Amino acid sequence: MAGALTDPTRAPVAFGRRAVPQLFGELLRAGAAARLRALTSLCDLVHEPERLYQAVTGGFLKQLKVLFRDEDPSVRAKTCELLHLLTSHSIGRQAVLASSLLPPLCQLLDDSSFSCRRNVHRVLSRLALLPAGAEALLSLVPKLMLKLTKEEDEEVQLLLLSTLTHCSRLDALPGLASDGVSLLGRKLSHRSSIIRREAAAAMMALSVPMDGKRQVCEDAEVLPVLVGLLRDKDVEVQANAAGVIMNTVIITTGKQRCLDLDVLPVLLGLLSEKHGDDDEEEMKKRRKALIMYVLRALTSLAEAPNGRRLLLEQLPLLEKKAEAAGADQDIRRATQTAIQVITWTP
Amino acid sequence: MIGAISIQLQISGSSVQTTVRMCYHFSRPKRLPQMRRNWLGCSPTRFKPKNAVPRHYGNIMYDRRVVRGNTYAKHILPTTAQPDPAEIRRQQANRRRAIARKQAREQFRPNTPEALEGRKHTDVQTELYLEELSNIIATMDIECQTDPFLDRPATPLFIPAKSGKDVETQIEEGELFDFDIEVQPVLEVLVGKTIEQSLLEVMEEEELACLKAQQRAFEELRNNELAEVQRLQEMERRHNEEKERRIAQQREVLRKEKEIAEKIAARAYTQQYLAGLLPAVFTSLRRHGYFYNPVEKDIETNFFPWLMDEVNNRVERRYTAREILDSKRH
Repeated sequence: MAGALTDPTRAPVAFGRRAVPQLFGELLRAGAAARLRALTSLCDLVHEPERLYQAVTGGFLKQLKVLFRDEDPSVRAKTCELLHLLTSHSIGRQAVLASSLLPPLCQLLDDSSFSCRRNVHRVLSRLALLPAGAEALLSLVPKLMLKLTKEEDEEVQLLLLSTLTHCSRLDALPGLASDGVSLLGRKLSHRSSIIRREAAAAMMALSVPMDGKRQVCEDAEVLPVLVGLLRDKDVEVQANAAGVIMNTVIITTGKQRCLDLDVLPVLLGLLSEKHGDDDEEEMKKRRKALIMYVLRALTSLAEAPNGRRLLLEQLPLLEKKAEAAGADQDIRRATQTAIQVITWTP
Repeated sequence: MIGAISIQLQISGSSVQTTVRMCYHFSRPKRLPQMRRNWLGCSPTRFKPKNAVPRHYGNIMYDRRVVRGNTYAKHILPTTAQPDPAEIRRQQANRRRAIARKQAREQFRPNTPEALEGRKHTDVQTELYLEELSNIIATMDIECQTDPFLDRPATPLFIPAKSGKDVETQIEEGELFDFDIEVQPVLEVLVGKTIEQSLLEVMEEEELACLKAQQRAFEELRNNELAEVQRLQEMERRHNEEKERRIAQQREVLRKEKEIAEKIAARAYTQQYLAGLLPAVFTSLRRHGYFYNPVEKDIETNFFPWLMDEVNNRVERRYTAREILDSKRH
C-alpha cells in the first residue's frame, strides 16, 4: 500500500518472488491506467538480473504481444521500453528471439507515437548486437533503409544506423540491394558527428563484399566526401572513413579513383599526427583503429604502380613509425606488411 | 408508505376479564429474537459494520412470544413439538371437567330470589353519574392519516455529559521518542533500496560499456584483418591473372614463333622446290614436244605425211605395176 501513496505512477510491488508474477497478472486484469503503472514498476524491477530471469522464464512474454496492440500509445511505448531492458541480458535476447515477438514488434515501427517508435528502434539495435539477432533482422533491412530516409530525429537515425551496421556486418547484400550506398553517402555529410561516424561505419560494413566496393567506386559523390571526412575533427569519423577507403582500394578501380583524388598525402598526414599528451591512453586506443586502417589502405595503394612510386619516397617515415610503435603488435605488423609491399619488385 | 389505521373504540362493560391463553405450542431453534424491519426497510441502527449479517435484534422483554411472569404457577410447555396423545387426551378431559365444573357451579350459585308478585326486579344504576345502558354499542369511526413520512433527521451529536475526573499530562521534549534514533532504520532501508537500485543500474551500464568497448576493439581488429585478407585475396587474384596473362602471352609468342619457323621452312623448301621446277618443267615440256620448231613441225606435220603418202602412192603404183607385170607374166 505504501507504493500507492509514495508514487502514483507506479503500481505497488509484492515482496520477493511474488513481485514479477503479480505485476504480470495485474497487466492481464487491470484497466489502462493500472496497466501503465504496472508496466512502470516492471521496468524498475527488471534492472535486477534475478527478476529479469524470473520475467523471462515465467513465460510472461506472450502477454506483451497483447499489449503491443493496446490503444494507449504510452502503454505501447512502455512495453517497448520493458523489452529494451529485457534485451540487455543475453537470456532476455534469446527469449525474445525464440518467442515470436518480432513480427508484431516490426509492425510497431509504423506506429503513430514517436516514443513508441524510438523504443522499438532501441530494442532492434540491441537485438542486432547478437549475431542470431542480426540474422533475424536481416529481412527487415530494406524497411529500415526506407525509415532512414524518412526519420528526422537524430537519436532514431543513430539507432537505425547502428542496427544497419550490425546487420550488414553479417550479410551486406540486402543493404546493398536497397541502394544503401547512396543513402549512406547522403548521411555522410550530416551536421552531427555521431551520425557521420555511424554512417561511415555502416558504409564500411557495406563495402566489404565486392559488389559494395564497386558501388562505392561508381557512385560519384561518395569517395570525395569520404576523403573530405578524413580531415574531420572527430577521430572516430576519421577512423571509419579510413576504413571505407581501406576496403575500397582493394579493387583496382578503387585504387585508381583514390589516387586521382589525391588521397595519399592525407593518409600520410594522418599517420604522423601527434596529439597532445593528455588522456594518452584513451587517445591511443582510439587512434589505433585509425592508424591500422590507414596503414592497410596504404598497403593496398602501394600495389598500384604510381602509388608505389609515391610511397617509396615516404619509406623512411614508415620505418620510423614501425620502430615507434614498439609495444603494439598489430601496428608493427601492419607497418611491416606495408613496407614489404612497397618494396616488392616483380 | 402511508397506512390508514382505523381504530375501533369499544366501549364495553366495566368488567374486564383476563384470559390466559394456554394452547400455544411453538418451538424453534434457539436464536435471539430479531426485530422486524421498519417501514423504510432499514434497520434502526445506522452504524453497523458493512459485512454484518442483517440481523435485527430486539428487546426480549417486549417480545410477544416470550412468556413472562412467575413460572411456578404457569402451565409448563412440553419440550417436544408434538404433544403426547395421552397428554392431549388428558387435556381434553381436563377441559371437559372444567366445563362441567363451571356448569355445576353455575347451577349452585345463589342468585337473587325471584321477584314477588307485582314486583319486578330491575337493574338500577347506583353510581353517581347515570349511564345510558344499551345493547347498541355506540361506535365512532375515527380515521387517522399519517403525514407523509419525513426522513429521520440526523441524530444530533451526542455529547455526553462530562463525567469523570479531569487529568492533564504534558509530553516534555525527549520523553516520547527520539526522532533521530527512530528514523534511522527507516532511513537506512529507504536509502539502501535506492542505492541498491542505482548501483544495479550503474553496474549494468558499466557492463554494457565494457562489452561495447570490447566489441569495438574486436570489430576494429576484425575489419583490419578482413581488409588485409581481402587485399591479399585481391593481390592473389591479380597475380594469378597476371600469371595467366603472361603464360597466355608466352604461349602466344611460342605459337607465333613456331608458325614463323614453319613458314620459313616452308618458304625455303618451296624455293628449293621451285628452283628446280622451272628447268624441269621446261625439260619435260620440251620432252613432250610442246616447244617445237614450227617449220620443222610444219614439215613434219604437213609435208612428211604428204610426202609419205605420195611416196606410198608412187610405191603403190609401182607395186601395182609390178603386180600387173607379175600377173601378165604368168
